Amino acid sequence: MTRVKICGLMEEQHVKAASQADAIGFVFAPSKRRVSIERAQELSRLANNDMQRIGVFVNASYEEIEKAVKAVPLTMVQLHGDEPDELIQRIEVPVIQAFSIRTPDDVEKLNNSIADYILVDAPGTDYRGGSGHVFDWSLLENVNLDHSRLILAGGLNRDNVRAAISQTAPFMVDVSSGVETDGRKDEAKIQQFILQAKGDSMERTQEKTIDPVGFFGRYGGQFVPETLMKAVKELEAAYEDAKNDDEFQKEYHHYLSEYVGREQPLTFAARMTEAWGGPKIYLKREDLNHTGAHKVNNAIGQALLAQRMGKRKIVAETGAGQHGVATATICALFDLDCVVFMGEEDIKRQQLNVFRMKLLGARVESVTKGSGTLKDAVNEALRYWVTNVEDTHYLIGSALGPHPFPTMVRDFQSVIGKETKRQILDKEGRLPDAIVACVGGGSNAIGMFHPFVDDEKVRLIGAEAAGEGVDTERHAATLTKGSEGVLHGAMMKILQDDAGQVQEAHSISAGLDYPGIGPEHAHLADNGRVTYEAITDDEALASVIEMSRLEGIIPALESAHAIAQAKKQAQSMTADELLVICVSGRGDKDMATYAEKLEGLS
Amino acid sequence: MKRLAELKQAGHKAFVAYIMAGDGGIKKLGEQIQYLQERGVTAIEVGIPFSDPVADGPTIEAAGNRALDEGITLEKVLDEMQRFDFEVKVPLVIMTYLNPVIRFGAERFTQEAKKAGASGVIIPDLPFEHRQLIEPFAKQQELVLIQLVTLTTIDSRLEEILKEAQGFVYAVTVTGITGSRDELAEEVGAFTRKVRELSPVPVYAGFGISKESHVDMLRDDVDGFIVGSAIVQAFHEGRIEDIEPLIDAVTAPHSV
Repeated sequence: MTRVKICGLMEEQHVKAASQADAIGFVFAPSKRRVSIERAQELSRLANNDMQRIGVFVNASYEEIEKAVKAVPLTMVQLHGDEPDELIQRIEVPVIQAFSIRTPDDVEKLNNSIADYILVDAPGTDYRGGSGHVFDWSLLENVNLDHSRLILAGGLNRDNVRAAISQTAPFMVDVSSGVETDGRKDEAKIQQFILQAKGDSMERTQEKTIDPVGFFGRYGGQFVPETLMKAVKELEAAYEDAKNDDEFQKEYHHYLSEYVGREQPLTFAARMTEAWGGPKIYLKREDLNHTGAHKVNNAIGQALLAQRMGKRKIVAETGAGQHGVATATICALFDLDCVVFMGEEDIKRQQLNVFRMKLLGARVESVTKGSGTLKDAVNEALRYWVTNVEDTHYLIGSALGPHPFPTMVRDFQSVIGKETKRQILDKEGRLPDAIVACVGGGSNAIGMFHPFVDDEKVRLIGAEAAGEGVDTERHAATLTKGSEGVLHGAMMKILQDDAGQVQEAHSISAGLDYPGIGPEHAHLADNGRVTYEAITDDEALASVIEMSRLEGIIPALESAHAIAQAKKQAQSMTADELLVICVSGRGDKDMATYAEKLEGLS
Repeated sequence: MKRLAELKQAGHKAFVAYIMAGDGGIKKLGEQIQYLQERGVTAIEVGIPFSDPVADGPTIEAAGNRALDEGITLEKVLDEMQRFDFEVKVPLVIMTYLNPVIRFGAERFTQEAKKAGASGVIIPDLPFEHRQLIEPFAKQQELVLIQLVTLTTIDSRLEEILKEAQGFVYAVTVTGITGSRDELAEEVGAFTRKVRELSPVPVYAGFGISKESHVDMLRDDVDGFIVGSAIVQAFHEGRIEDIEPLIDAVTAPHSV
């Protein structure tokens, strides 16, 4: 399959739009697309790890090139000047040498290049480094040329790239001005170009959400210590078996209706609809679940599965305490031993939930390491599981962790989206135009989104926590600011530094205060099916007040992120459209925070 | 790594020391390696600090946090190793979690590790199933990717892992995380005997090994011992000489 390089990138959103490409290019030579090494470094961080990072130079010195190679770091160097062979030889990374093609004689020069790859372009006009003009591809036909080192550039765009590939069979196609509008990169054009260049093979990988070994595209897997592999494999087999067992499904749904109180209404929010002046707003009421949030849907499913596997001890982590409470509740119901790890910072923020867990008979272990929040609680829960794996089930609370957890948690939470679909069809006779849900690890959102993923007309929007702002150090906006990495058993997107150390997240909402996003969300972000936006602490708090006063529903801080995003979304929607918000939980647990932050409110 | 097989042939037991690179500052790394090789250890695992070391107990986690506070990164450790001005006489094995490697780039990591004089790599959160993320690059550089087997590794999987084992096999002797313990479980002997029968390369016991009594208990069932937390803590507290009897207990000629 022909590879794709998007060249001349200068802005974050364009690097992200190029996530399905194979290479990105930074221009260090004088050009309107020139970037500094520092800028290239920042942009490079947003790209996937196996993305080739190519630096474009014109008659630069060896020292300049090496400096950029080391600093960014670059994986290839592209030379557009009259660089001598000695220079090409000295460069440690693979080198692409560019040639302008005018006549058949020019083609002969290509074969004399000692570079690893040769890039062919039309003769430049303003400056060297490519003109965007189309050259005559037929010059490359019927000449003796090694096409496996050929990179085709010059005047490519989404409309002609397919023809260019079939005519020249290059190793890679390179585009810059062809994916721009008014001299600036255009996200839609970038994605359409890649889709055209890669053709059907990519559509196939996008449709295939998960393969047998537990990957969503490039994300997922089972990155756990060997001691846990047996338990993870056993769980995989047990879940596969249970999923297809009608009795298990019947029992799960029995508890959902008789104990949790499902199904939950899809409430028409008349006053919010009126106040926002846009689409009709519907609220999916996960706040009405027993224990106060969506977490219990998953806790019941996994607790039933644990018993099926003969395990009567449960360990769990919790952030806001909602998953801890749900787990403690279900363990009381089924008479299972329950240990919950919770960061000491969260214990302070969520004292009510700590007390609830203790009342329900669970042991709450305070985690003082790191920032004392959800990430550290997961670490301790994993260590506890490694040590007690033979008789203990790890009841993970979000769509995270090694396979099969992300799939299993999603399936147990999909009841949210399935009900919503049925309800909106009953009420409106059609699917909604947009759905918004908050994402920390991502369990309520994936449960809501999953039944709608194939309904392409339904826009799906995840609201992540921007904390004090995505440009500050204090946020939890993994999809806006994160990059690919392995944490807690899965390849996903995480907040990390240049050395691969995971960074601490910040959000006023303990449930979103996590520096990773589940593998399926990472995949849906990459392929563009779901868009993710970041909401600040202050925006979320404003939404708490707004919804409380307009609808008489006090939402959880986590859910308030979805509400704030929905309000923005509503601005660009019309009265004949439908917008669904997943209200993942109620605000009782956040009352202390509300009291403090909203003091003086009239 | 060939040396390890020869040692086994000769009937001697190996002593593998784990250190946390950069605990006490990056300059300590060379000093510690020199000290340990002078004291006769067989090989040294150079640990890379990580923010979320879920396979490690409190001792190594704390050492890792101290190293992170010193600003230690995978890159700095590999750079420092490339600058060593003394002769490294024992095999060095880089022990790191996967994420720093992914971030650094798998291919670049193996290239730099080779230049740094490493012979092998251990990645505790890279299971056998996903080894292709690293192994092809390691092979190119002739670095061995050391596999771990544990008390919970089922037999069919054990055979599969051991079939491809290179360098040595890391037999994890506790169901749990790293760190010193008073007692090892009775079943450990049977486990290491089984691993040793199947393994084409030497089998070393690690996790929880901190006492001469552990060595006595497993001496006949393994080819060597890996000691981590006890050494890390001794270096940290400036009393590394306390470890010498343990090294001697393993490496001294022993009549059975």
